[in-house]
Amino acid sequence: MNWALLSLALPLLSAFWVLLVRRAVSETILFATLVSLTAALAAFYQVQSDPVQTLLLGDWTLPLAIRFELTSLNALLMVLTATIHFLVGLYNRFSRHGSGRYSDYWPLSAVLHSALVALWLSRDLFNWYVTLELLTLVAVALVTLSGPKAYRAALGYLVLSLIASLFYLLGVALLYGEYGVLDLDRLSALAVDSANTRLALLLMVLGLMLKAALWPLYLWLPDAHANAPTAVSALLSALVVKGPLFILWLTLTQIAPVEFAQQLGLIFALFGSVALLSGAWSALRTPYLKTLVAYSTVAQLGYALITLGLLLRWQTPELATALWLFVIAHALAKVSAFLAAGEMQATFGSKELIAVRGASQSMPLAMFAFAVAGGSLIGLPPSGGFLAKWILLQPLFAEPAHWPWALAILLGTLASAAYVFRVVALAFDRYDVETELPQTDALAQWLSLLPALVVWGLALISQPLMLWLSTGANP
Amino acid sequence: MTLLHMLMPLMVVLSSLIPGLIIFTLREDQIELRTLLNLSGVFIKMALVITMLIGVSQGYSYEFRLPFLPNADLTLRGDALSLQFVTLSSILWMATTIYAIGYLEGSPLRSRFFGYFSLCVSATVGLALAGNLVTFLLFYELLTLATFPLVVHRGTKAALRAGRIYLAYTLAGGTLVLLGVVLLHDIAGSPEFTIGGYLTVFETEHSASLTLAFALLIAGLGVKAALFPVHGWLPRAMVAPAPVSALLHAVAVVKAGAFGIVRVVYDVFGVDLVQNLNLMPPLLWLAAFTIIFGSVMALRQTELKKRLAYSTVSQVSYITLGVALLGPIAAIGAIAHLVHQGLMKVTLFFCAGNFAETLHVHRIQDMNGIGKRMPYTMAAFTVGALGMMGAPPIAGFITKWHLGLGALEVGQAWVLLVLVGSGLLNALYFLPLIYRGWFGLPPKAWPEDTGLGGGSPGWRETHWMLLLPTLFTAVVSILVGVLAGTSISPLAWAKLVVDLEFSL
Amino acid sequence: MTEFQLFLGLGLLLFLLGVHGLVLSEHTIRRLIAINVSGGGVFLVMVSLASRGDSVDPVMQALVVTGLVVAVSATAFALRLGSALTRAESSDREGDH
Repeated sequence: MNWALLSLALPLLSAFWVLLVRRAVSETILFATLVSLTAALAAFYQVQSDPVQTLLLGDWTLPLAIRFELTSLNALLMVLTATIHFLVGLYNRFSRHGSGRYSDYWPLSAVLHSALVALWLSRDLFNWYVTLELLTLVAVALVTLSGPKAYRAALGYLVLSLIASLFYLLGVALLYGEYGVLDLDRLSALAVDSANTRLALLLMVLGLMLKAALWPLYLWLPDAHANAPTAVSALLSALVVKGPLFILWLTLTQIAPVEFAQQLGLIFALFGSVALLSGAWSALRTPYLKTLVAYSTVAQLGYALITLGLLLRWQTPELATALWLFVIAHALAKVSAFLAAGEMQATFGSKELIAVRGASQSMPLAMFAFAVAGGSLIGLPPSGGFLAKWILLQPLFAEPAHWPWALAILLGTLASAAYVFRVVALAFDRYDVETELPQTDALAQWLSLLPALVVWGLALISQPLMLWLSTGANP
Repeated sequence: MTLLHMLMPLMVVLSSLIPGLIIFTLREDQIELRTLLNLSGVFIKMALVITMLIGVSQGYSYEFRLPFLPNADLTLRGDALSLQFVTLSSILWMATTIYAIGYLEGSPLRSRFFGYFSLCVSATVGLALAGNLVTFLLFYELLTLATFPLVVHRGTKAALRAGRIYLAYTLAGGTLVLLGVVLLHDIAGSPEFTIGGYLTVFETEHSASLTLAFALLIAGLGVKAALFPVHGWLPRAMVAPAPVSALLHAVAVVKAGAFGIVRVVYDVFGVDLVQNLNLMPPLLWLAAFTIIFGSVMALRQTELKKRLAYSTVSQVSYITLGVALLGPIAAIGAIAHLVHQGLMKVTLFFCAGNFAETLHVHRIQDMNGIGKRMPYTMAAFTVGALGMMGAPPIAGFITKWHLGLGALEVGQAWVLLVLVGSGLLNALYFLPLIYRGWFGLPPKAWPEDTGLGGGSPGWRETHWMLLLPTLFTAVVSILVGVLAGTSISPLAWAKLVVDLEFSL
Repeated sequence: MTEFQLFLGLGLLLFLLGVHGLVLSEHTIRRLIAINVSGGGVFLVMVSLASRGDSVDPVMQALVVTGLVVAVSATAFALRLGSALTRAESSDREGDH
C-alpha cells in the first residue's frame, strides 16, 4: 500500500514543487511520473502476494475514515495511468508540436495523474466526488491550453461536468441519508431495494454517464477532445473518461439491488450498441481528423457500456475482465491514435482529414502508428482489443438467446473498421511526388507508435493479464 | 522433441517477417541491401521448408506453442497438409520476389512494397502452419492487413477504390470467421486441428450451433476463396501491380480461403460430421455454381487480367468442390489442385504482366501475333492456359481426373457435367487467346514497346527477371504433371495427406 | 408536513429548477447561475438530511462544507473561462471587420 501512496503523492507534490520554484518544470514532472510508475509497478508486484490491501486514511476508523483499497486491478490501472502520463509527457516535451517545457501542461497533468490514482484507490462515495471534481477542473484547464479557439468547448465541458457532479452528489446525499455510511463495502452490506435507493442510484448513474460521455450523454466529448492540445486529447480520451466508468461499475455491482441492476443493464447494453454505431457513423462523416478520433472514443465507450450492461443484466462478474481489458486496450490505442493524428495535423498544418492524403509516404511512421492503433480499436487479433472482444463474445454464444448481442458486436467491429480505414486508405492516396515533403519529426512519430505496439504486445502476456484482471475485478 | 523441432515452424514464419521489417526501414536507394535481404529470406525459408518436408516424411513432428487465450494457445505446427501449402508459398514467393524486383525496377516506394510483400508471405505461411482455429484466425486477419497496402500500392483512384472494396469484403469475412471460431470455442475450446475433426462428440447436443458455425466459417472463408456471391473484390483488385495479382491469386489470399475450407472440413468438423449434419450438398452446389459462373464471367471479359481473375474464381472452387465431395479420391484432387492451380495461375499472371510491361498490351484484342514478338512468354502462357483447361500432361489435368473419379466414387455423377462444362468454357476463353497469340496478325506497332531487356524476340524479349520466373513456373507446371506418379510430386504428397485424413 | 420534509422538498425543487434553467438557457452566465441554484438545492437536501435526527450529523455537514468549497472554486473558474471566451470572441469579431 505504501508504494501505491507514493505513486499517488509524487505527481501531486511535484506539481506543487514546480509551481513554487518554476525551474526545470518538464524534467521534474517527467522524473516524478517515472518514479510514480516505478512505485505503481512495485505496488502491483506487492499485491500479487497480498491480494487485497486496505488503508484507512488518517488512522480513523470506519465509518468516519476514507478507505483506500489496492487490488491487482487498480494496481494495473495505476501502472497504466503512470505509463500513459509518462509517454504523453515525453511526446509533449520532445515533439516540436508539444506545449513547451514551461507550459501549464506540466503541473496540471501531474495533478490529473494524482486525481486519477486517488480515484482508482478510493472506496468511498464522497471521496470519489472530490476526485471527480478535481479531475474535471484540471481536465478543463488542460483543454484551454490550446488557446481561445478551445474556450467554447472547454466551457461546454465544464458546465456539463458541473451539473453531472451535482447529480452524483445528490445521489450520494440520498444514499447517505438512508444508510448513514459512505464506504462502499458498508453500503454494499446495508443496501436494500427501496425507492429511495433506486432514485439515488439513478441520479448517480446519470451524473457518471454524463462525465464518462456514455451514449446518449456524450455530446460534449467530440468538441472538447478534438480542440484540446494533442497531448491533452490523448490523456482525456485514454484515461479521464474511464474514471467515472470505474465508479459506475463499482457502485452498480456493489450497491445496486439485483433487479434494478438488471433493468439498468439492459438499457446500458442497448445504449452501448447504439453508441457503437452512432459514434462510428459520426466518425465516418466528420471532415476533421481529430474529431474522427474523438468520435471513435464515443464508439469505443459503447463496447464498455455493452460489457457493463451485460455484466449487470446477467450478473456475471467474469465480464469485468472484458470490461477492463477494453479500457486498457482502448487507452493505449487511443493514445497512439491521438498522438499520431495530432502530429500529422500539426505537421501538415491543417485539421482537415483530407490533409493526410499521401501520409503513408510523407509520414509513414505516424500513419503506421495510427493504423496499428486502429487495428486494436477494430479488435483484430492478437491485439488487446481482440482479447477483450474475445472474452466478451464467449458468454454471448453460450445461449442462442444472446446471439443478437453478438450481432451488435459484429456491426460495431465493421463500423470501426470503416472509420479507421477511412483514414488509412486516404493515406495511401499516392502523394504528388513533385510537392516538397514536409519537415517531419521522427521522435514524435516513434513515440506515437510505442503505445500501439504495447497494445499488440499485450498478446504475449494475455494469460497473466486476464488472471490479474479477474482476481482484481471480483473482490 | 528437440528445441530445433519446436522452433522450426516459428523460424519459417520469421524468415520472411524479419527481412520484411528491416526492409521497411531502408531508404529507397539501398537497392542492393534490399535485394540481398529479400533473397536471403527466400532462400533461408526454402532451406527450412525442405528440412521440414524431409522431417515430416520421416515421421517427425514440428510444433511451436505460446500461451495466448484460455484453452487456445498460439500454435504453429508442421503437418503434411500445412507443409503442402508452405512449400507452394515458398516456391512461388521465390519466383514472385525475383519477378517483382524486375517489375518494379525504378519505380517509387519499393521499400514499402517489399516490406508488405514479405509480411504478406509471412502471414500466408503462418496461416498454413496454424495449429488451431485461433491461430488460423490471427494470421487470416494479418493477411488482410498486409495485402491491403499492396493492392493500393499504385495509389491511383482506381487502386484506392479497389482497396476499399477489398477491405470491406475481407474484413467482413474475417468477422464472420471470428464469430464462427468463438462459437466453436464455446462448444469445444480450440484444440489443435485433428485428423477426422474434433467436434464429432458434440454432434447430438449442439447440432444447430455446429451448423451455424460451419455456415459462418464457410461464408467468412468463402470471401477470400472468392466463392459466389462474395467474389466481387477479386476482379476489382486487378488494379494492383502484376506480382501482387500473381501472389494474391496463386498463393496468398485466395488460397488462404480455400486452404481454410480444407482445414475446417477435414480437421475441425471431420468428413463424417459434415456428412451427418447434411452440410455437404449446399457447399457442393455453391462450388459447382461458382465454377460455371466464374467461367461464364471470364468469357465476357475483354481485358486479359480481368479474364484471368474470373478464371481464378472458377478454378479455386475446384478445391472447394473436391473437399465438398467428401470422398478420398476427390480430396486428393482438391489438395493437389491447391498447388497445381497456384503454379499455373502464377504463370499466367506473370505472362500478363510481361505483356503489359513490355508492350503495354492489356486487352485481349491487342494480343494478336504477340507470340512472334515474345515467343517464350507466349509459350509459358500456352502451358498455363492448356493446364487450366485440363489438357494432359500439365498439372490441371491431374486434378480434374481425380475430381472426376472422386465424384463417381461418391455417386455424384452430375459433377462430371460441371467439370466437362467448365473445361469447355475454359477452352472457349483460353483457346482464342492462344490462337491470337500464335497465329494472329501482329500489328504494325505495339501500343508502346518499352524495349525491356533488349527488345528482340527470344531470350531478350523482356527483362530477364520477368522472363525467368515465368519460364520457371511454366516448367514446374509441366513437371508436376509429368512426374505426378513419382514420390516427390504434389500429387503424391496429397495422397499422403488424404491417407492420413481418411485413415486409409 | 414536518420541517425536515419541507426543506428536503424545497431542496429537490431548487435542484430541478436549476437543471431546468440549464437545459433552457444558452447564455453562459445564466447557465452558471442555474448550476449554482442546483447546487444550492443539493446542499439544502444534505443539510436537511443532516438535521433529521435528534443530533446534527457532523459528517454530512463536513460534506456540505467541502461541497461548497468545490462549488465556489468551480464557479470562479467557469466565470473566468466565460469572460475569456467573451473577450476572445469579441476580438474575433473586431478582427473580421
